[in-house]
This record gives sequence, structure tokens and C-alpha cells, in this order.
Amino acid sequence: MKRRIPLLIVLLTGIFGAVAFFVPHPAIRAADETMRNDVNRIIAAFSLVLGVGSIVQHHLLKIRRKAQFWSYSYITIVALVITAIIGLFGGIDVSRPGILPTRIGNFSFHIQTLYSNMMVPLAATMFSLLAFFMSSAAYRAFRARNLEATLLLLAAFILMLGSVPLGRIIHRQLPAFAEWILAVPNTASKRGILFGVELGIFATSLKIILGIERGWLGGGGK
Amino acid sequence: MSEPRENILVHLLRIDRRYIYLILWLVIMLPLIFPFRIQPKPTPPVQQLFNYIDTMPENKALVISVDFTPDTRAELQPMVVALLRHAFAIKRRVGILAISVYGLGLGEEAIREVTAEFNAHALTHEDSVIYGEDYVFWGWTTPVLTVMLGMGERITNVFPVDYYGNRTESLPVMRHIKNYDDIGILTSIAASAIPLSWINFAQVQFGVNLSCGITAVSAADFYPYVNSGQFIGMLAGMKGAAEYEQLVAERMKKNGMDWALRNRGTEAMSSQTAAHLAIMGFILLGNIAYFATRGKRK
Repeated sequence: MKRRIPLLIVLLTGIFGAVAFFVPHPAIRAADETMRNDVNRIIAAFSLVLGVGSIVQHHLLKIRRKAQFWSYSYITIVALVITAIIGLFGGIDVSRPGILPTRIGNFSFHIQTLYSNMMVPLAATMFSLLAFFMSSAAYRAFRARNLEATLLLLAAFILMLGSVPLGRIIHRQLPAFAEWILAVPNTASKRGILFGVELGIFATSLKIILGIERGWLGGGGK
Repeated sequence: MSEPRENILVHLLRIDRRYIYLILWLVIMLPLIFPFRIQPKPTPPVQQLFNYIDTMPENKALVISVDFTPDTRAELQPMVVALLRHAFAIKRRVGILAISVYGLGLGEEAIREVTAEFNAHALTHEDSVIYGEDYVFWGWTTPVLTVMLGMGERITNVFPVDYYGNRTESLPVMRHIKNYDDIGILTSIAASAIPLSWINFAQVQFGVNLSCGITAVSAADFYPYVNSGQFIGMLAGMKGAAEYEQLVAERMKKNGMDWALRNRGTEAMSSQTAAHLAIMGFILLGNIAYFATRGKRK
């Protein structure tokens, strides 16, 4: 029963979801709208509870067991609680205050202030490191060892040159040629890959709806 | 090859990666401190998007879906700013939403910046950009499917309240933006595959016109959709943003709005160009050293 009910729900909602796309009957449309606007949102709200519960439980367990880097778990939990409180009750910014006082003198800690001054620089710092790793990797590993690697190297060079002004100085048509590589050979190969991927998604979706693929139920598909 | 020169090349192959990091850091930083001006020529996907928005009927709105996260802000935020400037300069209504919850703060930043620019130069009510009349920030809601399909029926059902807690039904602008029929074009700015979901759900079902702004690394993935016409145009990476900024600056100048605004995408082009050249230099040098010392290593 524990497995049959979820399988039945997936079967019914999966078939309904597909039917709703093809049958314009008002009753189907109304049911589809209720499913999307109400049922989906309720499920999403539960997933939020599940997500917050899961992250709190995970980090509390780490702290209790004094697992590796357990002290960082305090930061996660404290940041989660403070951000949630400020976000829920502190208002967006100075011009739109909430019920919680989030300003001391000229110092404000509204959610937008926290976001712009903490979240943005932290995330940008992490992402910008990629440029350094990429350049080091390109220097060490991007070698014209065989025909395929040489072609890749040539294409990369043309694209990089095409996107900087030097490319136009070398040859006026180089940027247009770089654009052509993206628009024609790249598109042709991507389309082939996409057809394969989409067929794979279609087959996997059918297997899940029909209960053939049960990995999502957990327990290793037993 | 003489022995000392070969030794240099072998040494080059084994160079400490920290030197590469240092060179790249200098190459990125110096043009930011001492910039040289670069004006990229608009590529066809950028020009197509600009032309479409520029000639969009007056009663149609531009909708910007802020679907990216702060890590790609440097690359994608200039696109949001340029699109907002363009829409306000030609007096088109704007709707903004976020599919990713992180997009809320980024959308708010862009709105503040652009509305402040326009309102600082406004002499009359007509010139001002007013919340609820000229633009609306619907905010974020979940799940994605509900948003993309629901907006085709009635936007106020999907977003009963806006980001600031106002009832969307009460906003005058919402009398003109009821569903996709009132939207001239929807632009999804993303560092993920979200623009493709807009095609799958919003375009296939309701026929809404779409375009996208994406990171340079993912541009190749989106070209098939530009070629097929599913995306009317595309802004790819910081270069795409810079190209659009140039077009918008020209349009604003023509409309008597020569305000010398900051164009962050264009400003970063000198640094990005230098970084591209440095990386090409690294690859060339690495290959020269590799082939010149191949015999010795064997």
C-alpha cells in the first residue's frame, strides 16, 4: 500500500497532465487550473517546510556529532533564522519598513541591504574564481594532441577572437565567421543532441507514469 | 633546439599555477582601473531583439523574468538594466517577475537604479516612471509550471499581490496587462535552462513572443532556438549586454535623453577583452612549450 498509493497518484496526475494539454473541455480546463493554481502551490509549500526541516536537521546532527567542520553549521542555522525573521517581518528596505525595527541610526539591515551587501558579493566571489581555474586548466590541458582536439582548439580560438575587437582587426569577417560557427555547425549538432535528449525524457516520463521506473520512490527501486 | 631554451620551455610547462592566477588578476584589474574604450558591433540576435522591442505596439508590454542568481550578476544584470531603460525610453509598460527567488533582490536593484535615472530627469508627470502605472514588480511565486501556464489565463490570479504587498488588481497598469495577449515580448534573463521552460509552457500553449539573455558559456545551447525563431533575439554574455547598451544609448540620444548613464556591460568589455587575449596567449604558450619539448619528454 505504501508504494501503490504514490504510484497511483503519479499515474493519475501524469495522465491528467497530458490530457489537459490536448482536451479543451471546460471541465478539464477548470480541473487543470485548480491543479496548477491550488494543488501545486500547496505541494510547493510543503516542500518548503521539508527543505527547511531537512537543512536544520542535517546541521543539528552535525553539531551534535561534532562531525567535520561542524562549527560552520552554527553559521548556517543562525543565518537561516536571522534572514527568515528579517525577511518575514523587517520589510524590504528603508522606504518599505516592516513591523520589526531594522534600522539603527544610519545603519540598515533590511532584507535588500543584506542581499545586496552579503549575498551578492559572496556569490559573485565564488563564481569569479572560475575564471582563474579555467585559465590554469586551459594552459595545462588544452593541447592540440589529435585532430579532434585541434578542431576544438581552432573553433575556440575563432570564437574568442570573434568576440574581441582584435578579431575585426585581423580580418573584418572574423566576427561574422564566429557567429556562423555558432549559428550553423553548432546549431546542427545541438539539434541532433536535443532530439535524442527529448526522446529520452519522453521515454523516462512514460516509464515513471506507468510505474515501470520506480527509483523515485526510494529504496533502490525494490 | 638549444639546451637553455628547451629548459625554459620545460619550466614553462611546469609553471606554478599561482603565476597564472596573478597574471590573469592583473589582466582583469588593470583595464578596470585604466579602461580603454570598446564599442562592440551588435550581432544579429541582439539587433533583432532591439528592433522588435523598439517597434513593439504601444499597447503591448515588455515582461522581464529575472531568472538568474547573484553569482552571474556581473554578466546578466546589465541586460536587465538596458532592457528597462529601453522600455521606459520608448514608453512601454513593463512587468517584472522572478522565477528564482534569488531574482527578487536583483530585480529590485535594477528597478531602483533605472527608475531613479528616469525620475531624476523628469520634468512632468508624463516623463516620470511611476510604479503601478508604468511598471509592476509581480515578485516571485512557485511552482514554475503554475506561473508559466497561469500567466496565460490571468496574471492577477498567479500574483494576487505584488512584491511590495499591494493587491495587483488595484494597480492601474494591470488593466492593460491581463495575460500573455497583452505582452509584446517576454525576456527571460537566466544562467540556466529556464528560458527553455518558457518555450515549453508559455510559447507552445499561448504563443507568447520570447527572447532570452544568457551567460556566454551557455550561448551555444540557445542558438538552435534563435535560429528556429522561438526566441526573437538573444543577449549572450557581457558582450551581448554591451551591444544592447550601445543600441539603447543611441535610441535614448535620439529621444533627447543624452544623460551619460553608466553602461556596466560596456565598461567591463575592456577587461573581458584583455582576459580573452590572455587566455588565448596561455593556450598558445602551453601548446608551443608542449610541442617543442615533446621529444625530450618522450
